[in-house]
Order: sequence, then structure tokens, then C-alpha cells
Amino acid sequence: MNTPQSPFGSRREVRFEREPARRVFAAELRESRHQFREGTEEKSPTYVLLPTGQRCNRVFVVGSLTEKQRQGEQNIFYRARVIDPTGTTFVTAGNYQPEAMQQIARIEPPAFVAVVGKPNVFEAPDGGGVYVSLRAESVTVVDHETRDLWVLDAAKATLDRIDAYGTTEDSKRAGEEYRIDPALFRKTVADALAQMNL
Amino acid sequence: MDLSIIAARISQKIQSKGKNVEQHQIEAKLRLLVEEFGVPPAEAERTVISELGREYQVQGLAGAVESDRHAIAELVPEEWVTIEGKVVGLSTPNSPSIAQTGIIADASGAIRFVVWAKAGAPHLEAGQWYRIESAVVDEFRKAPNLKVHSGTTVTPLESDQPLLPTVKPVADLKPGVGSVRVKMVQEWEARSDRILQTGLVGDPTGTIKFTIWKEDGREPLVPGTVYDIYYATVDEYNGRLSLILNSGTLIPDEDAEIEIGAGGQAFSGAIVHVGQGSGLVKRCPVEGCNRVLSRQNYCPIHEIQPDFRYDLRVKAVLDDGVTTKNILMQRETTESIAGILLEEAVEIAENSPLGMDEVFLRVQSAVMGRYLDCHGREMDTTVLVTSAEPHRFDPGALAALIDRAGGEA
Repeated sequence: MNTPQSPFGSRREVRFEREPARRVFAAELRESRHQFREGTEEKSPTYVLLPTGQRCNRVFVVGSLTEKQRQGEQNIFYRARVIDPTGTTFVTAGNYQPEAMQQIARIEPPAFVAVVGKPNVFEAPDGGGVYVSLRAESVTVVDHETRDLWVLDAAKATLDRIDAYGTTEDSKRAGEEYRIDPALFRKTVADALAQMNL
Repeated sequence: MDLSIIAARISQKIQSKGKNVEQHQIEAKLRLLVEEFGVPPAEAERTVISELGREYQVQGLAGAVESDRHAIAELVPEEWVTIEGKVVGLSTPNSPSIAQTGIIADASGAIRFVVWAKAGAPHLEAGQWYRIESAVVDEFRKAPNLKVHSGTTVTPLESDQPLLPTVKPVADLKPGVGSVRVKMVQEWEARSDRILQTGLVGDPTGTIKFTIWKEDGREPLVPGTVYDIYYATVDEYNGRLSLILNSGTLIPDEDAEIEIGAGGQAFSGAIVHVGQGSGLVKRCPVEGCNRVLSRQNYCPIHEIQPDFRYDLRVKAVLDDGVTTKNILMQRETTESIAGILLEEAVEIAENSPLGMDEVFLRVQSAVMGRYLDCHGREMDTTVLVTSAEPHRFDPGALAALIDRAGGEA
């Protein structure tokens, strides 16, 4: 197999494609249940399938951090709630995310934050249901305008997914995995945007 | 192209043969051909020249190319050629096996030339016309180049016919020789003692890097001033073009003003990652090196460099939710986007217990999660950002989305 020759020599020959951070409203992320791994190797990426029919390995959310909780003695662990116009997204950061953990530690709620993180679906041990949370890579305080821009961005991305529903492999898979009509999220988007219009 | 420019060029050619033709007559002939008969301007120019040539019984009008010589603009590599042209620029050769290097032009265009020391050719003078027989055209760094070798005959010509170079938009430049009308946009810090000035010039179609090497009689460009630059050398390196002005003629046009186009491509999205090596960095001071030093002031090539210079930059990932781009912002863009000046950053690094890490954290918290509209060129896997602005909230976009979401509600 030929590797494309790079003028900078071998160190750039392996091109790693970074997973884009999908824009997902809390109301949709909350309904996501189906998690799968692509490939069989240890480092193969895992994805959460969104009900609107797109896989995501990374999510970008901007909202209000209203509450943070420190847990654990030896292994410190932070949990935070980030509110957007549609609901709450749970964000976590532990020892394996030292940067995000330190960032959360410094933030005084309430504050607008931008969160980049990996989605995870897990079941509560006592049979208390299924939860989705974001394991944060980064949590940064931002301004009001950035929050507003994100709401528009997430609205557009959600509508794009709804419009493409049924035409992509992932959305056909979502049709089998979920019993939610993706058109419902159009209402979610409309409600979120209506709150901006005050 | 503007027909009056072509008319001016034709009128000059005729005048150089001692005849006089009214320029508006020429323009009327051109206009008839181009506008009434749909003839391409270049073809119309040839038609009018040959018509006037017959009418006024003048011969050897450049452009009406005779069969025994080639128009410079039409030269292609791997050819033996004969040309007649004027030496419009000479530069200092960088090898003892080369007698002279420079640029020779005729009415059709210009080409770089090399006279080999072994060629035994007469010394070429700037501003003089020559007939060069049996030279070879080859390609050097993607630009055509005329080689004068021992089998080439060089004869000076008695001619002082003026040449009007064809001015091109910056976006249309190709490696070789080019003439442009540009504004000096930005001055950059020179990376070498041999550079008199380097920076950016531009016109409405885009911007391009320029360099003036130190040389007797060379003056730096004045920022914000418009220049007509004739016969500059266009070089290519890593897919990027730059202008070397030493070979060219620079004519400032102090009263003129032109708009600058950004060129490159637009990239928008949110910053989702700020990489190590962002913020304040130390660069190797060795001429032409400029590598980033380690914390111990160690350059991978030049070892310990205590006399480093500071620089400010952001290496980040811009993500629009569909694709991601690695971006690199240089000092000026970093200063405006992160809201921190290089001098401030140096002060913070020198006074904070965290040193340069403190600058990294400040830059990171200023740009992470922010929506940016960037302009730049994609090279290899990274977008070199030439300008960036925060993306602003647009009520129109909100209204359009409300429409779209409510369409079926």
C-alpha cells in the first residue's frame, strides 16, 4: 500500500482524523441509549447513536453550569449540571481528565460554560434507569453571546439531522434502535429558539 | 482587460517606430473587434497591430511575432528558442558558475534568465535590448527559466522602445515573473540579517508575502502606500507564492488607495481544543532557523540559545460540528483574539510563579469554546490563519432558524 508522501517526512504520514464535536441539545442527549464500538481493537472509538440518527464520539455543549459536586476522597471526581434551553446535561470529570477537573474546580456557579466531552451511556446500579453524561475534556467559562451562538448552532445541527433522517446508514440504524419520532425534536428546537426571542 | 490599456500599448509600439497614431483611433478599432465581433482582446490586439503595421509600413512591431523568434510569454520548458527582449532587472548570482541572473522582457511578457559563466556571453546591461539566439528554456522551482549557454548567441540591439508590463491580479500570479499593483499591508519581523524588509502586499484579489533583500540603493516599502511593481520575481515554496522585489521596479503612487481582498479560504466553527505550544513561545535566534525552543532554551539544531526571542501563537482545533481543522494563529491574530499583547504576555511569564504556563492558561480560557470566523490558507494538515474575528450573533440567523423549525410544527 502506498502512503502519500509528505514533504515533512515520515512523522506526518499517519493522518489521524479527529472526531468532530456534535452539537446536541440536552433533551436529545437524554434520550440516547444505544452505544457501540466501531472495530475490535482496544483503542477503537465508541459512539453514542443519537435518536435523530447520527453517531457521536464527541459533543460540544454551551450552557449554564448551575451546580457542581465534588465526590470521593482518594479519587476526586466532579459532577456538574449544565443547563440549556431544553434541559440538563450531566458533565463529569475524574482523575483521567485532570485538566477538565481543575477547570471545574475553579468555576463558581452559576456561569456560562463551553464543554467538550465524550458521551457515555450507563445504567444506574440499583436499576434506577439509564443515564447519559459527558466525560469532559475541557470546561471553560464563556460569555452570554457564545451561549446564544451555540443555541443557534445546535438548533441548525439538530434540524440538519432531522432533514437527513432516513437517508443515512446511521439514521436507519436509529430507526431500529429508537421508538422516538425524530420530528419531535423539531418542536424541541422551536421551543429552544422561542426562548431566545425575548 | 481594459481596452484603453491595450490601445496605449499599441500606440507606444507604433510611436517607437517613429509613426504617430491617435490612441482613440486604435481603441475604436479594438472596441469594434471585441464588442461587435466578440474577438478575444489578445487576438484583437494582434489584428490591430498587424493592420496598423501594414498601414504605416512599419515592421518588427513586437507582439506581431515573426517566425524566427518567440514571444517570451509563450516560452515553454524543454525548448530551444530565440528571443528579442529588454533586460529589465539584474540580480546577484549566488554561484561562481553563473555569470549573471536577471529578467528579460518583451511586449508579451517576461522570463528569468541565467547566463552561465562558461557561456562566454557579453555582459548584459539593464535597460538594453538583446537578441538571444539558441537559448534553452527549462524549469527551475516550477518557474520557466531561460539559460544562456556556450551555444547561445547574444547580440545587443539598437532599440529603446518602451515596454508596458502586463499587470496581473495577485490571485493570478504564477511562479516566474509578475507585475502587480498592490498596497503594502503589513510589515513582518525579518528572520534574517540579509533581509531589508518582509511583509504582506495585496490587491482586491488577495495578499502575498514579499521580501526585499539588502542591496545598495534598495528602500523599504512604506506601509499603507500603493505601488506599481514591475517585473518582480515570483517564487514558490511549499505551495505558497512570494514576491522578491529586488529584481523589480517599484513606483509608489502616493495618492492611490486600493481595497485589499483576503484571498485564501474562510473557515468557521468553535475552538474545541487548544494545543500544547500555544501562548508564549521562545524562538531560536539563529538566522533562518526560528524554531521553537524547549523550556531549557534548547533548539533541536542549534542547541542552547540564551538570546531567544519571544513570540505568541495559538495552535488549536476549529470544529464546525461536521469537520475539524487544525489551525495556527500567528502573533497579530493571537493578540486580537486572545486579547493579550506580546509584551503583556512576556511580563506575565516573567512575574507569575507559573511562568509561561500562566500565559497558556490565559490564552486557553480566552479562546476555548469561542466561535470564530477565520480566513487563511490550508497547508498540509494545518490552516495558517491570516485573519480571524469572533463570530457575532445575527438576529437574522435566529429568525431563519425559527422559520425552519416551525415549518412543520
